[in-house]
Amino acid sequence: MAAAVNAPSDRRSRPLRRFLRNPGGLIGLALLVLLLLVALLAPAIAPDPIEQNILQRLSPPSSAHLLGTDQLGRDVWARVAHGAAISLKVGFGVVLLSVLIGVVIGLLAGSLGGVWDNLLMRLTDIFFAFPSLILAMAIAAALGPNLGNTILAVALVSWPVYARLVRANVLALREREFVEAARALGVPQWRLMLRHLLPNTLTPVFVQASFDVGGAILTAAGLSFVGFGAQPPIPEWGAMVSETRSYIAEAFWAPTSPAVAILLTVLAFNLLGDALRDVLDPRANA
Amino acid sequence: MWRKFQRLASLGIVLGALAVAQDRTSTLIYGGDWSDLITLDPQVAYEFSGGLITDNLYETLVKFEGADLSTLRPGLAESWKVERGGDSWVITFKLRRGSKFSTGREVTAKDVVFSFDRAIQLKGPSSFLFTDIAQLKVGGTRAVDPYTVEVRIPKTASPGSFLSILTFNIGGIVDSEEVQKHAKGGDFGKEWLTNNSAGSGPFRLVRWDRGSQVLLEANPNARLKPKLQRIIMREIKEPTVLRTALESGEIDIAEGLTPEALKAIAANPRFKTLKADSLRLNYMGMNVKPGSPFANPKVREAMRWAVNQDELVSGLVQGNGVKIQTIIPKGLLGYNNALPYKYDPARAKKLLAEAGYPNGFEFELLTSTGLCGGGIPCQDIATKIQSDLAKAGIKANIKAIANAEALKIYRAQSHQVYLGGWSPDFPDPDGNATPLADFTAKSLAWRNVWDDATASKLANQGSLETDPSKRAALYKLLTDYALKSGPYVILYQPSIPLGFSAKVEGYVRNAQGQVRFENISKLP
Amino acid sequence: MSGRGKDFPVPAPETLNPIMLSYIVRRLFFVLFVVWGVTFATFFIAQVVPVDPAIAALGENAREEQLQEFRERYGLNKSKLEQYLIYMGRLLSGDLGQSLRTGRAVAEDLREFFPATLELSLVAFALAVLLGIPAGILASLFPNRAPDVAVRILALLGGATPVFFSAVLLQYLLAQRLDLLPVQGRLDGFLFPPPRVTGMMSLDALLARDWTVFLDSLEHLILPAFVLGMFSAAILARMTRATMLEVLAQDYIRTARAKGAVASSVIFRHALKNASLPILTLLGSLLGGLLSGAVLTETIFSWPGIGRYVTQSATSLDFPAVMGVTLLVGLVYALVNLVTDLLYAFLDPRIRYT
Repeated sequence: MAAAVNAPSDRRSRPLRRFLRNPGGLIGLALLVLLLLVALLAPAIAPDPIEQNILQRLSPPSSAHLLGTDQLGRDVWARVAHGAAISLKVGFGVVLLSVLIGVVIGLLAGSLGGVWDNLLMRLTDIFFAFPSLILAMAIAAALGPNLGNTILAVALVSWPVYARLVRANVLALREREFVEAARALGVPQWRLMLRHLLPNTLTPVFVQASFDVGGAILTAAGLSFVGFGAQPPIPEWGAMVSETRSYIAEAFWAPTSPAVAILLTVLAFNLLGDALRDVLDPRANA
Repeated sequence: MWRKFQRLASLGIVLGALAVAQDRTSTLIYGGDWSDLITLDPQVAYEFSGGLITDNLYETLVKFEGADLSTLRPGLAESWKVERGGDSWVITFKLRRGSKFSTGREVTAKDVVFSFDRAIQLKGPSSFLFTDIAQLKVGGTRAVDPYTVEVRIPKTASPGSFLSILTFNIGGIVDSEEVQKHAKGGDFGKEWLTNNSAGSGPFRLVRWDRGSQVLLEANPNARLKPKLQRIIMREIKEPTVLRTALESGEIDIAEGLTPEALKAIAANPRFKTLKADSLRLNYMGMNVKPGSPFANPKVREAMRWAVNQDELVSGLVQGNGVKIQTIIPKGLLGYNNALPYKYDPARAKKLLAEAGYPNGFEFELLTSTGLCGGGIPCQDIATKIQSDLAKAGIKANIKAIANAEALKIYRAQSHQVYLGGWSPDFPDPDGNATPLADFTAKSLAWRNVWDDATASKLANQGSLETDPSKRAALYKLLTDYALKSGPYVILYQPSIPLGFSAKVEGYVRNAQGQVRFENISKLP
Repeated sequence: MSGRGKDFPVPAPETLNPIMLSYIVRRLFFVLFVVWGVTFATFFIAQVVPVDPAIAALGENAREEQLQEFRERYGLNKSKLEQYLIYMGRLLSGDLGQSLRTGRAVAEDLREFFPATLELSLVAFALAVLLGIPAGILASLFPNRAPDVAVRILALLGGATPVFFSAVLLQYLLAQRLDLLPVQGRLDGFLFPPPRVTGMMSLDALLARDWTVFLDSLEHLILPAFVLGMFSAAILARMTRATMLEVLAQDYIRTARAKGAVASSVIFRHALKNASLPILTLLGSLLGGLLSGAVLTETIFSWPGIGRYVTQSATSLDFPAVMGVTLLVGLVYALVNLVTDLLYAFLDPRIRYT
C-alpha cells in the first residue's frame, strides 16, 4: 500500500532538475520571490500608503515619489508596495478556500458514489455553469463590499474545478490494485480516503491551484474595479486602477503602476503553473 | 492584422464624416452620465437627467427664465392670480391661446386638469410635491373654460411654494387625449409616456435607446421654435471618455468633467467651459443621539475645526464647487456667507479635551461608492477628511457602500457620521431650512437626532413669513444658530462642470439644473 | 462526415441514432436543471441583502407611504418562501418579474440590452479565433524559434493583463492620443441608427442596407471587441499550440512528413483535423465566458449591454434584474456547452453517450 504514496527517491529528484531547466518557471519563481519580498518589506521600503498631500496631487515620478502621486497626493509606490500583501492574501485566500470546498465535495462524491455522487456533482455543474463574475458581483453586493466578502465570493465561484478534478482522480484510483487490496483487508472507508486517495490527488490540485491564484487576483481586482471589493483607503490594486483611471491623461503613472503590478503577479503564477504542470505531470504537455 | 483594422477604421471615419457633414450644425450631441434615466414621463421622472430632458418636451404653466430663480414668468399661462377663498387659496391661470402639442392639438384647460390629477394619482416619486407640500387633491384643479384653470389648495399650504413647484417637470402639461388613447389598465398612459412624448415643448421624443442615447427632434407645432433641429443625449459615464469624446468632436457638450479635464479644456481655444451653479450642499451629518460623542456640541464644533475645507475645495474639488459653512445654499434667500471655521487641529484637540476626549475618539464615516457633487467620488472626499481628522486625534473608519444601502442606514438613524449631498426639493430656502433644522419634519434633522426647539421654531417661522426682509432676518438667525451648534459639517456647494465645443452658444443652466434647449445653437 | 472517417481510428456514425437522441433529451433536461439551480442560488443570495430595495428604488426623499406602497406592489413584504413560489410560478410563464430600478419588466430590459452584448461577444469571439488559432498554429510549426517565442510571450501577456486596464489604456492611446477610433458608444451620434430588428447595430444596418452606418458600427466595435477578445485569443493560442505540437509529434504525421508530404497539406489535412476536438471544447467555454466577461468592458466603453445593466442593477440592489441576467447568461452558457458537446460527439465517434 505504500508503493504509490512513497515514490522512489530518484523519480522525485528529477522534477526539481526539470524545473530548474524551465526558463518560464524560473522567471515566475523569481517574480514571486520579488513579490513576497515587497509584500513583507513594504513598511520598511515604502512610505505610508495613506498619507495624503493634496497640494501635490498627481505629481509625476520623482526622487521623493518613485512612482508619482495619485489624486489625493498619496505616494503611488507606497500604495503599490502595500498592495502586494493584499493581492497575495486575496489570491491565496480564494484558492485555499476553493480548494477546501472543492476537495471535500470531490472526495465525498467520488468515494460515496451513488445518489450522493449524483447530487454533489449536479451541484458542481450548477456552479460551473454560473457566469462567475456576475455571481461574484451578486454575492459581494448582497454581503456588502469588503475584502473578506470578495474572497468569499470569488471562492464560491472557483471551487467546482477542484471538485471535478478530485472526483475524477478518486474514481480512477478506486480501480487501482492497492486500494482494492486495502479494502479487502478491511480498512475503513474514511481511512482509505484520507490515507490513500487524498495524497494521490494532490499533485493535479496543486498544479491547478498555482494557475488559479493569478486568476483569483484578476477576478478580485475586477470586482474592486466596479466597486464590489476593497474599501478606501485600502491600497488594493484593482481599486487603485479604478480610482485613478479618470486621470490617465494627466497622470498615467497612477493607474498604470498598480495595473503593471497586477500583470506581473498574474504572470508569475501563470508561469509557475505552466512549469509545475510540465514538471509534475509530463503527459499534459509535450 | 491590427494595422488592417486601423485602415478599415480610418476609411469608415472618412465615409461617415461625408455622410453626416450636412447635419452637424443642426444637430447637437450632449454627453453626460444619464444612467439614472428610467422614465421620460413628466409626472413620474424625478431623476436629474429625466428632469433635464422632460423640461424640454413639456411646457409648464409658469417657469423661471435664464439663471434667475426668483421671478416667475409666464409659460403656458399668460397670467395668473392668487386669491383667498374661504379656507383655501384659489389660484387662477389664464392660458395662452394657440399653444399646440406635438400632436397638433391645442393646449386647453382640460389638459391641465388631466395632468395635475394624473400627477397625484400616479403617486410617482415626486408626487409629494403636489400632495404634501401643496396639499393639492384630485378635484382641486378645475377647468372654468377652455382657457381658464382654477386650482384650490388649503390655507395651510403656501401658494408661493406651489407656484415654484409648478416650474418642475411634474407640472408639465401632457396632451390628455393622446395619453388617454394609450392608457392601459388605469395606468394613465404611464407605460406609453415612459418612452413617448405628448407635450407642447420645443422638442419631441423620437427614440430612446436605453443605456445609449435619447434622440429629440424639434417639435414642428411648438410655440417656442428651437434653433436646433435635433438634440442627442448621449450616455457616457466615464469622465475620461467624456473628455476624449468632446475633444474628438464625438460630442458637443460634456457634463461631469474632472477638474483636471475642465482645466485642460479651458486652455484650448476650440472649447469653452462653464461651472454651472447648483443648490446642492455636500456635508457630513453627525448623529447626536445620547451616548454618542457627537451629543456634545463641543465635539461637533471640534469636527468643524478639524476639516481642512480650504484644501478640500482648492485641492480636490478644484473650483468645481465653492466653500460654504451654513445650511442655506448660495442662490437662495437667506444664504449666509459666514465662514468662521478654519483648519485648526490644535483648537479641535482643545475642544475635544474640554468635552472629555483628551485622546480623541473613533467613529465610522458612512458614505456612498458613487460621485458626490462636482464630479468627485465621495470616497475621495471621505479619505481626504479622514486624514485631516487624524491630525486632530479623531480616527474615522470609512465605510463606502452602495448609495441605497448607505441611505437606509442614515434614514434609520443608525449611522455615526454620514457624508453625502442634499438638494432642496424646490427652489426656496424652506427646501433646506425645514429638513435640516426641524426635527418634526422627519428629514435630516431627525436622521441626525437633532431635536432642537430653537431651530425648529426658527424654521417654522421662516416658512410662514411672507415679507422677504423679515424672512431673511429669520434665516440669518437660523443659519448662525446651526453653524454653532447644528449636527452638520457643511463641506462645499458643488457646481456642475461642463465643457463645450466653441461652436455651441446659448447654453444657460439655472441652479435647479434646468436648461432651455430651444435657446442653444451651433455655429457652422 | 464519412469522408473524415479515415483520419480517425474508428468510423464515424452516419446519422442521428436513438441513443444520441436520448442523449440530447437528457442533456436538455440537464440544461433546465442548471438554469433552475442558477435562479435558486441567485434568489438565495438576494435574501442575504441587508438593504431595503424600496429605498434603493425611490431614493433619499421618499415618504414612508411611498415606500410601503412600493413594497406591496413588488411583494417585498411577503414571506421569503411566498416570494420564491410567486417568482417560480411567474417564471414558468416566462415572466422574469419587474426591475426595481427601471420599473419595467426584466424580460423587456433584457430584450433591449442582450443584443448589444451578443454582438460585442460574437465579434470579440471572431477576433479571438482569427488571432488566436493562426498564432497557435504558427507557433507550433516553429517550436522554440522566433515566431513561437513571440506568440508565447504575447499569449502570456494577454492572459495576465487586467481587461479593465487594457480597456482604459487602449481607449486613451488609440482613441484619444491618436484619434484612430471612436472611444464610446455603438454609433456616431450624428448618424441616425437603423430601425431596430435584431438589436445588433451592425446587423440591423446591413438589413437596412445602410453602408455608412454599417461601417461606423464596425468601427465602434473594434476597440471593445479587441479588449474583450484579447484574453480568449491568448488562451486559444496557447491551447492550439499545445494541441498541435502533440498531434504533430504523433507517428502517422511523422510518417506523412517523412514520405515527403508538403508541410502545409500535412498540417491542414491531418494535424488540424485531429487537433480540432479539444479546441472546439475550449471555444464553447470561451464564448460562454465572453458573454459574462463583458461586464467590465461594457462599463468602460459605455456599451449598452447586459453587463453594464447587471452592474447597475447590483449596485442598486435590484435583485429581480440581477436574477434575470444570471438566468439568461446561465441559459446561454448551458446551451453553448450543449451544442459543443453535441458537435464533439458528432465529430468524435469514440465518445459514448452517457
